[in-house]
Amino acid sequence: MVDELGRWAEPGLLVLASLADGDKHGYAITNDIAKQVGVTLGPGTLYAALNRLEERGLIEGLPTEGRRRPYRLTAAGAAELTAQAARMQQLATLSLGRLRMVPA
Amino acid sequence: MIRDPWLVRSLLACYPTGWRRQYGDEYAQLLCDMRVHRRPRLIVNSMRGAVQAQLIQGGRLISTRPPITTAVWATGLFTVAGIGFQKLAEDLTGVAGTVYTLVIAAAAIALLALVAVAAPTAVALLRGRDTGAWKFVAVPLVGAAAWYGVLRLVMAISHGHGTHPAASTTGVALVAVCGIAVVAATAWTAATVLRRTPADQPTRLRPVALVVVAAGMAVTTVLALIWGLRVQTSDPTVFHGDHGILATPFVPSWLAAVVLMAAATVLATMAGRRQLAAAH
Repeated sequence: MVDELGRWAEPGLLVLASLADGDKHGYAITNDIAKQVGVTLGPGTLYAALNRLEERGLIEGLPTEGRRRPYRLTAAGAAELTAQAARMQQLATLSLGRLRMVPA
Repeated sequence: MIRDPWLVRSLLACYPTGWRRQYGDEYAQLLCDMRVHRRPRLIVNSMRGAVQAQLIQGGRLISTRPPITTAVWATGLFTVAGIGFQKLAEDLTGVAGTVYTLVIAAAAIALLALVAVAAPTAVALLRGRDTGAWKFVAVPLVGAAAWYGVLRLVMAISHGHGTHPAASTTGVALVAVCGIAVVAATAWTAATVLRRTPADQPTRLRPVALVVVAAGMAVTTVLALIWGLRVQTSDPTVFHGDHGILATPFVPSWLAAVVLMAAATVLATMAGRRQLAAAH
């Protein structure tokens, strides 16, 4: 099923992609996404996404470090990210292939 | 213990209690890390997130507020709107035909449905299941007595003045503010007693009654809207008349009453939906 995670810039998908690189707390996630993708997630957007992903069991909160709580990608989260990334790769391949066929 | 800046505490306060319990500390730290005080765009984003958490997530995992509490507060808001509407319409009851009577009937059904929800708790109170709860019963009584005292005082002070001089306007505003405070105190009392007193509830009573509360409020809101439109078409002089402080600015007063009723309906609907979901 294609849901909101199917949109490439959907905050939830960006968070999953960020956590695929290792556990991170909120501020580290926003910095990573801004650096890698050029999208700045606001605090409200980030925590709405974290809440949704946690509810769906795609990420899990770890014990806090001071006041910062790191989050980890779960196995279900990794599977979801893999499925979405494969879809996007398929779409990218299709789009680039068709664009090459268009005469200049 | 870390004391966050005022702005961070204010932004955090916009989120529901349950949400703050779960994410409060780490969210406050994030706001500090992001230097939110220097970035207005992030302040707006945080407030948008809070609205989303209140509206969308408030009813499920995040909110710990029982549906009956939301329904009671919705009824408080509806009562305030209803009193405002009644004061506005009291000199115009015949103008819109039977619609006014139907408004009263629909509002009565909504309020009676809430009384039905409260009935098992009242029985439990009478049977002495929660003796500590009796002190709460004094709150609406004392509040109503205090309000009546303010009313008498205002009537004495503004006696002999016309409808619109400052003395009368200030007096009406004082009576209105005190009235709203009494309704709010009563709603708080009712919600507290309903939450803390163990009562034998028939399984389907609360979900069905809360749906009736929401439906009654919705019908009342629509009828109040129709009433105003009918008055507007049948007697345009009402808009330029002088029927008292509430009735003179007719359109804003009428719209304010309808908007408050609609807001109460939304709250009651949310409570009904959550109660239905809990029953399944």
